[in-house]
Amino acid sequence: MFSYLFRGIDCLSIVFSKVANIVALGLVVSMIYEVLARYLFNAPTLWAFDIAYMATGTLFVLGAAQALREDAHVRIDFLSSRFPAKFRDGFNGFIYVFLLFPIFAMLSKVAIGKAWHAYVSGEVEMVSPWAPLMWPFYTLLALGLLALSLQLLVEGLRAFGAAKGVTQVKEGDA
Amino acid sequence: TWRVPTSVPEGSPFYVNFLERFADNAALLTGDRVEIQPFGAGVLVPALQVYDGVRDGIVEAGHSTPSYLVNKDPINAIFAGFPGGMGPEAFVTWIYEGGGKEKLSEIRASEGFKNLIVGIGSSEIMAHANKPIRSAEDLKGLKYRTSGPWAEVMREYFGAVPTVVPPGEIYTLLQRKGVDAIEWGPPSGNLPEGFHEAAPYIIVPGVHQPTFLWEVVVKQETWDALDDDLKPLLEAAAELTTLESVVSFYDKDMKAMETFRGGKNEIITLDPAFIEQLSSAGSDWISKKADAQKEAGKPAMADILADYNAYKARWSAESSYLIRNQD
Amino acid sequence: MLVSALMFPGLFVLVLAGIPIAFSLAIVAVSAGAFAFGPHIFNQLYGSFYTAATNFILSAIPMFILMGAILERSGIAERLFKTMQIWLKGLPGGLAVATIAMGAVFAAAAGVVGAVEVMIGMMAIPAMQKYRYDNRLIAGTICAGGSLGTMIPPSVIAVMYASLAQLSVGEVLAGMMFPGLIMIALFIGYLLIHGMIRPPEKVPELEEEDDMPLGEKLRLTCSTLLPVIALIFAVLGSLLAGIASPTEAAAVGAVGALILCIAYGRFSMSVMRESLAITVRISAMILLIVAAGTMFMGVFAANGGAQLIRGFLEGSGLGTTGMIIFFLIVVFILGFVLDWTANVLICVPLFTPFIRSAGVDPVWFATLVIIVIQTGYLTPPMASSIFYLKSIAPPNMTYGQMCRGVIPFILLQILTLLLVVAFPVTATWLPSKIVGF
Ligand code: NA
Ligand code: NA
Repeated sequence: MFSYLFRGIDCLSIVFSKVANIVALGLVVSMIYEVLARYLFNAPTLWAFDIAYMATGTLFVLGAAQALREDAHVRIDFLSSRFPAKFRDGFNGFIYVFLLFPIFAMLSKVAIGKAWHAYVSGEVEMVSPWAPLMWPFYTLLALGLLALSLQLLVEGLRAFGAAKGVTQVKEGDA
Repeated sequence: TWRVPTSVPEGSPFYVNFLERFADNAALLTGDRVEIQPFGAGVLVPALQVYDGVRDGIVEAGHSTPSYLVNKDPINAIFAGFPGGMGPEAFVTWIYEGGGKEKLSEIRASEGFKNLIVGIGSSEIMAHANKPIRSAEDLKGLKYRTSGPWAEVMREYFGAVPTVVPPGEIYTLLQRKGVDAIEWGPPSGNLPEGFHEAAPYIIVPGVHQPTFLWEVVVKQETWDALDDDLKPLLEAAAELTTLESVVSFYDKDMKAMETFRGGKNEIITLDPAFIEQLSSAGSDWISKKADAQKEAGKPAMADILADYNAYKARWSAESSYLIRNQD
Repeated sequence: MLVSALMFPGLFVLVLAGIPIAFSLAIVAVSAGAFAFGPHIFNQLYGSFYTAATNFILSAIPMFILMGAILERSGIAERLFKTMQIWLKGLPGGLAVATIAMGAVFAAAAGVVGAVEVMIGMMAIPAMQKYRYDNRLIAGTICAGGSLGTMIPPSVIAVMYASLAQLSVGEVLAGMMFPGLIMIALFIGYLLIHGMIRPPEKVPELEEEDDMPLGEKLRLTCSTLLPVIALIFAVLGSLLAGIASPTEAAAVGAVGALILCIAYGRFSMSVMRESLAITVRISAMILLIVAAGTMFMGVFAANGGAQLIRGFLEGSGLGTTGMIIFFLIVVFILGFVLDWTANVLICVPLFTPFIRSAGVDPVWFATLVIIVIQTGYLTPPMASSIFYLKSIAPPNMTYGQMCRGVIPFILLQILTLLLVVAFPVTATWLPSKIVGF
């Protein structure tokens, strides 16, 4: 049962990171288009700036869960690698499941609220002359945060599993 | 204590002249019973979402400008200052004596806010430019970093090419001639940004932004919960701040213009006919917006604009008696 | 204020316990933020997250990483370093010098740091390891070379500093020019001396390969070195000619790298896919730290962090010299945990009034602060440059090696700082001469 759920969440993270790949490409294309349009055609776009910051924001948020899955979020482990493995896994599991998952879940909740509010009120970008609708961007941020929260939960439970597997202690032990 | 974030960084002229001055005046008039704790842009809430931050209850009050609400509701353009609108003398008079303040308060009240006008500014510099601008001809094809209503007026009426450049890159792009012209703020605001070192021409007057207004907003219930004797004191602190700040801008702008004139820049003062041409394009832009709002069933903008324009007309007709000591 | 003072020790504990940096920052921000914002804390933190997620300046980071990833995945970087080795093998520490030089050149094209470090690192680490450079030296070279973007114009830090301190951008950039060049010269000097005393061991199988005829050498140079130099010119030139802004120059670099990759016939869907995946992974890592750092800073400020520093200063009765040293120490310590944006946002407005009233030359002081910010990047245990390096380093390069590797460069930066202190003219002469347009 759990393993299906774990795999589902892994899949979600992978899919989001693929979307982020495309967004990264879009970022470069839109910036280059702006350079060419301004320099060669004397016709800069009104949208390149908004697209650029939105693409950057989107690509990192959508990539965050997959980066977690691949253990790419930098940590300093020279001290912790000397802890007993059981203790280290239990500690990580505790932090991930009981601190980080709730924190990012709450952030996702706020993010979803913002996206919904932006959709209902038809919110547009504040200062952009292009004035795009904001809900698609808010929605992508919310989805990325949500995937990151779920992946935090999964990685935390996996750490507990590892701690258990090593010594057969109960989860709460750490 | 109110934590009050604003939309500009700590230390900028707007921060010091408007928000810090208000904090001092509020402490002075209330005998330190109200403490205003200013915060620079982006520290507590996103720079452009100060109004939302107050609405969400993250901070007790916020300091920002109606400029940032123009995309959401163009009615804010009347109060933010718009191309061809009233200059600071006339505007400040309309706000406090002609009913402008009350009209803005009604709009904010409908959004659940109590507002205090905290800061009205002088005119901006129309452009720091790599090319001279003297007539409508010179605007054609001009790559011009600007935003808001002026961007639309420049494109639609004059064939200029409004360009979006983020604040941190304006200096570099102007210096390297990636853009032909930029507008930013009043002379005293532009001086520390160093644009006069990046481009030779300075174009005045600031038809595009004859004045500007900032306000502090709090939730109505936060305001209602204040002791009754504090409310008029805060109102007085706000008005004092606004009047002091506009005078302070005049003084600092004069000194900034002196610095520009003493340096390598050529200062181009547009001739009256061209100014009139630019102004009427701006007026035309805003009346079209107001008409569109009216057709959409929101007549408020058109009503306020009519009142504003009538006041402006009376001011122009009768202000010739004023001595301005202008060369 | 007590809460804001406790945020730093709390963060150190979590980081040293092996929790990823970004998550450690978030945990501390939530705990301390609950004091300042009560039930609204998550709303507030989302705002900080949003501020970071909408910061246009950060767009340069993924684009520079993409440029590096394409050059590395397509094998162009490997050929480039091979060619450089052919010419530089007579020069002690040749590849290290070349890496610092590349760092300096891209620093002159990039407005943000981190991006350059990751890009150069991806290309140089495999090559330098192949030629048996010491891991510590590799790590130090890349961290130091990558952090030069702070000092060499255009620097987003300098622009932001000037704007916050109400200084002329041109003067601040000009003020940093000589100290930046001094620093590069010191780095190169050190690498040459290090290379003479402890040359990397010879690799016999690569030696033979290097023994190629001159014609072959020239052919390889024309086909490899020149195109890459053209790419560098495209990036730098588009910026200097005003064709691209600093951020857009990064896009020029990414597209240029792609064109090279196609021209060499190395382009394939898998190269592209892998490059993009690397870009997203490293960008996610870096930008999540920036976002969490922004959260941390907001909470620190809301809990009276600035008043804490101000109060200490006013109570201490320091003279002008003591005050300057105190400020530099604050910048240095904040630099351990905060991204430079956050550091500059907090410190500059806080210091400026004191510096003004003490009559200290503000451009000279700005130069000192910017050097110290750059040193803060490098100084372990909490050093952004090491975090970024760790994200691209091979497993056989340890955290300990990185920490030891940066020490000589930290000392050289401190030497630069002392030179600027002893001879303020290094920072003040050029600004007094700059001509506008
Ligand atoms: Na402006
Ligand atoms: Na730079």
